[in-house]
Amino acid sequence: MKARSLVKLLAALVTLLVAGAVAFWLLTRPQPLPAAAIPTHQVDLRNGETLYHAGSCLACHRAPEGAPGADRGLPAGGTPFPTPVGVFYPQNLTPDAETGLGRWSEIDFVNAMRLGISPHRTHYFPAFPYASYRSMTMADLLDLRAYLMSLPAVSSPSREAAVPMVALARRGVGLWKRLAFRQPTFSPEPGRTPSWTRGAYLANAPGHCGECHTPKDWLMVADETRHMAGGAHPGGEGKVPSLRGLVPRKKYEDVDDLVLALQNGETLGYEDLSSGGMAAIQENLARLPESDVRAISEYLLSLR
Amino acid sequence: MKLSKQAVASLVVAVSVAGAAVAVVAAEAFHERHMAMEAVGDAMKPLGAIAKKQAPFDAAVVKANATTIADSLKKASALFPAGSGGGESRAKPEIWTDAAGFEKGMKDAHAAAVALQSVSDEAAFGPALGALGSTCKGCHDKYRLPKQ
Repeated sequence: MKARSLVKLLAALVTLLVAGAVAFWLLTRPQPLPAAAIPTHQVDLRNGETLYHAGSCLACHRAPEGAPGADRGLPAGGTPFPTPVGVFYPQNLTPDAETGLGRWSEIDFVNAMRLGISPHRTHYFPAFPYASYRSMTMADLLDLRAYLMSLPAVSSPSREAAVPMVALARRGVGLWKRLAFRQPTFSPEPGRTPSWTRGAYLANAPGHCGECHTPKDWLMVADETRHMAGGAHPGGEGKVPSLRGLVPRKKYEDVDDLVLALQNGETLGYEDLSSGGMAAIQENLARLPESDVRAISEYLLSLR
Repeated sequence: MKLSKQAVASLVVAVSVAGAAVAVVAAEAFHERHMAMEAVGDAMKPLGAIAKKQAPFDAAVVKANATTIADSLKKASALFPAGSGGGESRAKPEIWTDAAGFEKGMKDAHAAAVALQSVSDEAAFGPALGALGSTCKGCHDKYRLPKQ
């Protein structure tokens, strides 16, 4: 009698475990878009370059000092990106066939940027900020890809992230996406100027400012009720400042002032822009057309 | 090998005093270099105003402020004793783990400030200020923590 109830208990436990594993497997399944999702598109390389700078791609995807491509400022990847979760090694974004994006199709690129799914159908860790990039328009994604494919190819093999139980953690990202992707994607606000709307799009979608400047909840999902209100530094280096109320808090005088700051950074004495990795972001933003820097500034200064 | 209670007590006191002295020196160094760096920041403001065309170019103003910057940088660079990071300080541990790089950055900044002192025409001012600013940026990016 006793032995039989023990068996029953064990059977129940095993069933529960199997059911849990199956549920985990199903819930974390990567579901990429099919190739048919790509519209016909006329490539605009200059727009692609603008988005490349707006996203500060090079800030994370640069090659380590001395590595191939580093001297030419190419996004050959491989520079360690340390976080409290582990160390990530950003992907080679040059068109090298073996180690870069050379063999990626348009849909491979769109799935990576929109859904955080690799061409091998695995999840990317959200250190790659696709939660922001998924708000980018299809046309912009295709232009950005075309721009990257126009760069000189550099051979720089990828390296797996140094994260505990990396394969399981990677699969588990599927659960995180179920929460993070519930946040609405960017949509224009009615009654705003075209410049404000452009700035809001650049800052939130390709620019991914919120990845650091919006605090995250305990599940590492952006807390949009506190949009751009400042958060923990992704590298664990203290705090990232709030971008709300920059004028009333006397950080910047007006839009012109912030434009100068983003274009020049500390070369004009704007010293707040050179810590915690912001200097690299500022250098990328400085390469944008002035109208876009102005649009971003206009949007940021409207945050209260 | 028996130590008297008195000897042990004196040793404890001596070690504590030495420890406290090191802490005081570190705290003082932090305070003084902070003041020196604030002086650099304040002197950058009128120079930034000229670069932004909010104030007219004036070689005397440039010279005075560039001198303040050069002097303050020289003062500050000697105020980073080992163990003076942490707490309120925004100094990153790299200042001491990469001491040679930090020292070179400070020297480059000082040289750029000295070069700025003798700028007498407006055309040369922008590039000279930019050169100084990039040395500030290069070091702040590597060796300074974000505001807490």
